[in-house]
Amino acid sequence: MAEQPVDVEPGGQNVAGETPAAEPEAVTDDTTVHDDDVELERTIGLVGGLAIGIGTMIGAGIFVFPGLAASNAGLAATLSFAIGGLIALLVALPTSELATAMPRSGGGYYFISRGMGTAYGAIVGLGLWLGLMFASAFYLVGLGHYASAVFGELGVGLPFSPVIGIGLLFGAALTALSIGGTENTAKLQNVVVGILLVVLTLFLSYGVLDAVGVFGGASAPEQFFSRGYFPVLTTAALVFTSYLGFAQVATVAGEIKQPGRNLPLAMVGSVLIVTVFYVVTIFVATSAFGADRLGQFGETAMVEVARDFLGLPGAVAILGAGLLATFSSANASILSASRAVYALSRDALLPRKASEVNLRYGTPHVALLAAGGPILVLVATGQVELLAEVASFLHLIMYGLMCVALIVLRRRNPEWYSPSYRVPGYPVVPAVGALASFGLIAFMQPASIGIGIVVMLVSYLWYRYYAGDVTLKGDI
Amino acid sequence: MTDRPSILVPIRVLEGESVPEGVPDLLAHAHVVLLGYHVIPEQTAPGQAQMQFEDRATERLDEYEVIFEEAGATVERRLVFTHDGQKTIDRTITEHDCLAVLVPNASGPVEDVLVAVRGAVGIDRLARVVAGLFGETDASVTLYHVAESDETDEDVGTLLDGMVGRLEDQGVDASRIETRVDRDQETLDAIVDAADPFDVVVMGESDPSLATFVFGMPADQVADRFLGPVLVVQREPSRDPEE
Repeated sequence: MAEQPVDVEPGGQNVAGETPAAEPEAVTDDTTVHDDDVELERTIGLVGGLAIGIGTMIGAGIFVFPGLAASNAGLAATLSFAIGGLIALLVALPTSELATAMPRSGGGYYFISRGMGTAYGAIVGLGLWLGLMFASAFYLVGLGHYASAVFGELGVGLPFSPVIGIGLLFGAALTALSIGGTENTAKLQNVVVGILLVVLTLFLSYGVLDAVGVFGGASAPEQFFSRGYFPVLTTAALVFTSYLGFAQVATVAGEIKQPGRNLPLAMVGSVLIVTVFYVVTIFVATSAFGADRLGQFGETAMVEVARDFLGLPGAVAILGAGLLATFSSANASILSASRAVYALSRDALLPRKASEVNLRYGTPHVALLAAGGPILVLVATGQVELLAEVASFLHLIMYGLMCVALIVLRRRNPEWYSPSYRVPGYPVVPAVGALASFGLIAFMQPASIGIGIVVMLVSYLWYRYYAGDVTLKGDI
Repeated sequence: MTDRPSILVPIRVLEGESVPEGVPDLLAHAHVVLLGYHVIPEQTAPGQAQMQFEDRATERLDEYEVIFEEAGATVERRLVFTHDGQKTIDRTITEHDCLAVLVPNASGPVEDVLVAVRGAVGIDRLARVVAGLFGETDASVTLYHVAESDETDEDVGTLLDGMVGRLEDQGVDASRIETRVDRDQETLDAIVDAADPFDVVVMGESDPSLATFVFGMPADQVADRFLGPVLVVQREPSRDPEE
């Protein structure tokens, strides 16, 4: 069996006198081995990894963004999604290399803290935790829109908009379920993703055939750049939230079987699959209605597209799929946020107490509450675009730094760094990936950028105050 | 390696499972692979459970290790945090080349051993387990076979004689070996019924078939109904061509 030695020695202690937990001795295809014959079993296969990636991503890009994106960029929103997918791919490739070299829980945080030191690690790790909360809140607001649309469909007139209330309700329920539920949620996630892919494939196939004129006249061709060129990039920055899922695969890297093979396949595979789905979705949606009308439908535009093609059954199917998709995205993000808290607390950047496991349920209740609580506050704002952009901002910082970390590690080439997958096109791919990630941030709204920078500053100050003596960087 | 048979003893170490009475004596002549495992929900990272529970689990495994060693066994141990207990058990069997897995139930001193012989397949491993564990004891060994309707008495005779021969070659005195054959019964029920007066059952792992997906592995069913310790002899591992 291929055993990979791990030779990173974290040291120092935080304000509370806690030291980072010891690193494992070796990583095998099936386990992470600690001293004294203690092993951590790897139980997630390729399908599970793909389901995490796709399940996290597909909720946003298809079910929330088409209307918003089309009203911003017109038909060229297709290009925005393609740009997002390309950037995601440029980051997923280097991430795959890092993940096969360090298949441990914590994903991007782990790579950056080991490759570039504690300060960068703390900014990224705390940013990842908060970024996932923003993402999760964004999915929950999307879920609220879909649930409200169900009320609309049933003809129940409500005197107020139930979007935020429903988002809050589901946020609280999800947190409670994660703490108290011991059911096999991963199997359920695989099934949900399977159903979604089938429903979408059928729907989009019909839509594509319709758009090219198989069923009666082809839709009126619209000018591609109807809003000009600049909105294509701002829209790409907005919809990049749709591509945050592949990094969640790296967050559970410590639990993936045969990490050398499955991690790259799951990350790159899920990015490619969702990119295709997104681009086709936007193409179909804009060809059905034209960008202007699509934009008026807002978050649940896809329901109207389905109604246009297939009548009420189509609308119901897409409503159901939208509920499932946003729910599974929110769920996956809360769980990832809890994993991020664990990774930080393991390294003494957060109190050890934060990753404590509940004795009754065996679940990390503190970490889950630390994710679920702030999410509710964020949901209450109801700002879909702002939530999405801040989530993207914090992730893009991590993505850019991961690419930088890869270049740093390759140049220094420490003994312990021996990835089984190597990124093609080094150093161009990671360099372009880093530039593109940082570059995309420039096209966001000033408010999103401001909030993102504040989060990074606070993260850095927390590190200086709480864990200034902790060293996590691997020996060079 | 010793010629002691490697026996896997899986224990859910943090859920109050311990080494039942009689088991250490039963495995006094074995090489015990002591697997303490803890199954955690998917919301929890295995490392998270490890941070919190490793010390307590290690303490317990230390105790169990001493108990087995005092009884005379050699012991090798693992502590595993996992989302999937079955995967962990299967992997440990392969990695440590275990001949059999013990379903740990309490027993008194072992005087009578029931060995369920299904067919010629895997009979070598069955014999190695029985001879290794009970060869140097005074326990009497009963070879039990439930014959199918198309099996002649001659077939059954050849099968059981072959097993007796193997056991004798490995140092089990023939006077301690009895044989017993039943016909026209459902195999599992027959084994459970026959097992009642015995202290321990040794049987083979059955091939997974449709029925095992519905009812679970036959060995598990026997263990559930017999209430005493059951040694489940594992199939010959298919060698990975890469290794």
